Amino acid sequence: MKPKALLSKVGLWSATAAASAALVIGIAPITAKALNIPTEVTEDGKNTYKKFCSACHGEEGKGDGPVARSMLPKPRDFTRGAYKFRTTPSGSLPTDEDIYRTISYGVPNSTMIPWDILTEQQRASVIPVLKSFSEAFEVRKPEAPVAVGLEVRPTEKTVAEGKKIYEEKLECWKCHGVEGRGDGPSAAEQEDDFGFPIKPFDFTTGKFKGGNSSRDVYLRFTTGLNGTPMPSFAKELTDEQRWCLTHYVISLIKPEETSK
Amino acid sequence: MKQLLFLCALFGFLSWNVISSEDTLADNYAEVEVKDGGTVVGNVKYMGDLTTLSLNLYADFELPETSKTATEKLTVSMINHGIKYAIVSITDITRGKKKAIPAIHPIIDQQRNNFIPHVTAIPAGTTIDILNGDEELHTVHTSTIKNQPFNLGTTYKQRISKTFEYPETIKLTCDLHKKSYAWVVVLDNPYFDITDRNGYFEICDIPPGTYKFQVWHEELGKLEKEVKINPKELSNIEFVYSQY
Repeated sequence: MKPKALLSKVGLWSATAAASAALVIGIAPITAKALNIPTEVTEDGKNTYKKFCSACHGEEGKGDGPVARSMLPKPRDFTRGAYKFRTTPSGSLPTDEDIYRTISYGVPNSTMIPWDILTEQQRASVIPVLKSFSEAFEVRKPEAPVAVGLEVRPTEKTVAEGKKIYEEKLECWKCHGVEGRGDGPSAAEQEDDFGFPIKPFDFTTGKFKGGNSSRDVYLRFTTGLNGTPMPSFAKELTDEQRWCLTHYVISLIKPEETSK
Repeated sequence: MKQLLFLCALFGFLSWNVISSEDTLADNYAEVEVKDGGTVVGNVKYMGDLTTLSLNLYADFELPETSKTATEKLTVSMINHGIKYAIVSITDITRGKKKAIPAIHPIIDQQRNNFIPHVTAIPAGTTIDILNGDEELHTVHTSTIKNQPFNLGTTYKQRISKTFEYPETIKLTCDLHKKSYAWVVVLDNPYFDITDRNGYFEICDIPPGTYKFQVWHEELGKLEKEVKINPKELSNIEFVYSQY
């Protein structure tokens, strides 16, 4: 190979490497980079957990704090490592960013408030404490987050396609009801992995627990909700079908219900 | 040349990854050649009151079609009181015959809102295929801690392959049909058997010695017995559950 050609080849390689590195840094979520999530349990994390979390989630993370009795849905029991709101596939453990997101944004329709009154560093310091409660984090590692495809534009056609999936293919209405009010025929008998009764979500309220954006809704039936009867439909639906279902589910929101 | 080198390095790294990930599967069971192993045959029986089991709580009310499926949680043979679907295993064995992981995946099928078979016993590391034979939606839900739990919706003719790496007793449920469930018992050694419909089992090629035998049944619980195995001899043991 001539030296000039070699030089141009090396140049091309390094340029590609530099460009992809820049792209990777650009794409990565800001929270993950700007925040330094500790890997070990710190004294600061323990104190924050004890002061702000243990009243509901219990001193040992069993979801049995002194005020937990009066709550439904129950505070999460961390000992099983089952986290509802994730970007990882069904059954997998959550990534640190997933836990950070739930702490920061809270869970609407439940007693979990957005903990933005804490500093970012305090929120991050709690994460290793939560993970230390479950032996699952020692045995398994979180899987890679699922790929979210390019969003399909919401049109009448996609909503109609989503309705077909909701009513015929996946029979979502069996739990969530035909109108999406969470009153389907199987709704009453549902319970979670801890044996507590659980209500299928009422879509008409519009306060989606895992977030209101269409990406969040898409993620919920792609990843499922660990520890609850809500399964993952990652194998059943194509990417486009999932976007159609997302648009239909969002179309079930009733504006007059959202103000309640 | 540079690209070739890069490819070589990449391939090397990948294969190293595969090898090292296989090494990390910890287990405390050593595989050796068993020459003069003994065999254990036996029977698991239920000698309790059978009349209480046949109580019909629905008292001849007309049931919906989905509720008419028979439950298999305690199947007692009328001939010799043998129990189907009890798992007999050796709990304290550390070395013995090769752990044969079935190359053809065992199948658990959901038919007429029931899991078939009701109980499956596998050595750790086995992959199970879970099918849906009904023309309606089912879910397959497990809540394990060591093995990766899952909760997947399945439609007609769907096939899900899942590998169970750690010894655990796992319950598979369907959240849409609360009555149906199945058990997958993952064991860390190959010395186990599942009883047939008359309660018979057989475990062979056991190295001579004294071992703890355990029988597990989902409704009746566990029983334990210590048995001495002599070389090339057939031992006969019997487990009897006296009450429900």
